[in-house]
Amino acid sequence: MNGVTPAPTAEEKTVKYMIMLTGSQRDYDALTGRDTPDSPAWPAEDVAKLHEFMAAWNNDLVESGEFVDARGLAAPVHTRRVQLRDGAPVVTDGPYPETQEVLAGYTIVECDSFDRATEIAARLAYTPHPESASLTSEWYVDVRPIADGAEELA
Amino acid sequence: MTQTEDLLRRLAPQVLGALVRRYGHFDTAEDAVQEALLTAVTRWPAEGVPDNPRGWLITVAARRLTDLLRAEQARQRREETVARRLPPEGWTAPPADQPPTGYDDTLVLLFLCGHPALSAASQIALTLRAVGGLTSVEIARAFLVPEATMTRRISRAKRTIRDSGVPFGLPPAAQRAERLGSVLHVLYLIFNEGYASTAGPALFRADLCAEAIRLTRLLHRLLPDDPEVTGLLALMLLTDARRSARTGLDGTLIPMAEQDRSRWDADQIAEGLGLVAEALPRGGIGPYRIQAAIAALHDEAPSAEQTDWPQIVALYHLLLTLTDNPMVALNHAAAVAMAHGPAAGLDLVDKLGTDSRLADDHRWYAVRAHLLEQAGERAAARAAYEVAADRAMSLPQQRYLRTRAARLDAVPPDEAR
Repeated sequence: MNGVTPAPTAEEKTVKYMIMLTGSQRDYDALTGRDTPDSPAWPAEDVAKLHEFMAAWNNDLVESGEFVDARGLAAPVHTRRVQLRDGAPVVTDGPYPETQEVLAGYTIVECDSFDRATEIAARLAYTPHPESASLTSEWYVDVRPIADGAEELA
Repeated sequence: MTQTEDLLRRLAPQVLGALVRRYGHFDTAEDAVQEALLTAVTRWPAEGVPDNPRGWLITVAARRLTDLLRAEQARQRREETVARRLPPEGWTAPPADQPPTGYDDTLVLLFLCGHPALSAASQIALTLRAVGGLTSVEIARAFLVPEATMTRRISRAKRTIRDSGVPFGLPPAAQRAERLGSVLHVLYLIFNEGYASTAGPALFRADLCAEAIRLTRLLHRLLPDDPEVTGLLALMLLTDARRSARTGLDGTLIPMAEQDRSRWDADQIAEGLGLVAEALPRGGIGPYRIQAAIAALHDEAPSAEQTDWPQIVALYHLLLTLTDNPMVALNHAAAVAMAHGPAAGLDLVDKLGTDSRLADDHRWYAVRAHLLEQAGERAAARAAYEVAADRAMSLPQQRYLRTRAARLDAVPPDEAR
């Protein structure tokens, strides 16, 4: 706490935020050991460092009591898209181009302020990666408040 | 686990059993016991453990149950319930001192939590809470679901049990064997959940393997003569013994043939082998006993080559007479390859290829790839590993399969042909 935000009162409601991580099929391939043009596979020790970093980040949230839920998604290639064509649903397998950034996973936190959630997400900027790694695009994460009552849908 | 926690978790089912036996109201009693446990967690470390911890917990939980039931009754009166509900029999005047019937009650609770009206997910959650003494938060963390979801799942399960109106007691003798089967299945699933999770970037998950072993040990103490209970406990111990050798630093899986066997847990193996020796001569066959015997042969062997593969093949063959699980058939094929050469194994694997349950499963391709590699068919093996990797959903598994494929690239195919 930086002292600017007043401590929440008992009545004050905490809000849940979703921190969304994105990645492309090419990023998944590099992480699981497949070389693609311009994107070499990550060495095992770099994958280990990444796991260690993510585990520490997650465990900090569990310790502070702000952790709610986290999930990682299977590679984009496993996606099925269902869309209407001429009024009938049509299924397309793996609809994304290799380098398109799509949702890769999310972490839901419950905390006192949007600023706090942003601060948590910003720590991911220091996620370790090998020197050789070429990211598909500029690195980013998105943080979005979860609309009230959304948990009832879970 | 601290000493206090250890003691509390052991007493939890006994306290709940005593309460339900005396007052009924399984669902409310379960809440009351959880609150008594929480009180103990905060007070015992500071004030010291009472002389009779079990009695202390029963008193505190009974008091809390009284409050909860009164609140419920008041609410019902407010809701203009016409008939004034009498407190349940014996509620106002509990017997002064009951002999501890804890162990029987634990067994009754296990049967209750494995009630056939509940889904497998609910059976697991309720078993961990009512018998294991874990809080809803801990269970939610272990299964990576939001706490609210787990709390709802547990409340629903308790309501189902309440509404089913089953009396608090062992199921009738005619149903007991079948119900024991579902209790064992619940414990098996808890273990599997813990074991599977050790592969991925496993975060903050309570140790479900240890919990499953603890509960199965408890059941084994209650039913020492049941060979399937003994078999399940042995299977868990013999499998868990290999855990630390099972994954590399980066979370990739290490197949048993390449594991550093000096990292296997020798004490756990010794205990497991003892149990297998106890269960097998009892006659009859059962799936847990057979799987334990297979695990025992692996754990006893100094290396993959020196494993008694013909015996393992025979055991899988026996297991296949009890189940038509395609994964068992796949394991059987892999064992046949070790005993009689990769060609014999590949024959069986190819036959399984027509099984629709395995059609898109990466495991079929992975086993095929391993056998092709053993047979020296490097190009075909490499291709099969790639297909398996493409179909696998979990990242560590994909990484493992891609590494195997890449290894076949690294050394040029030479004298193999």
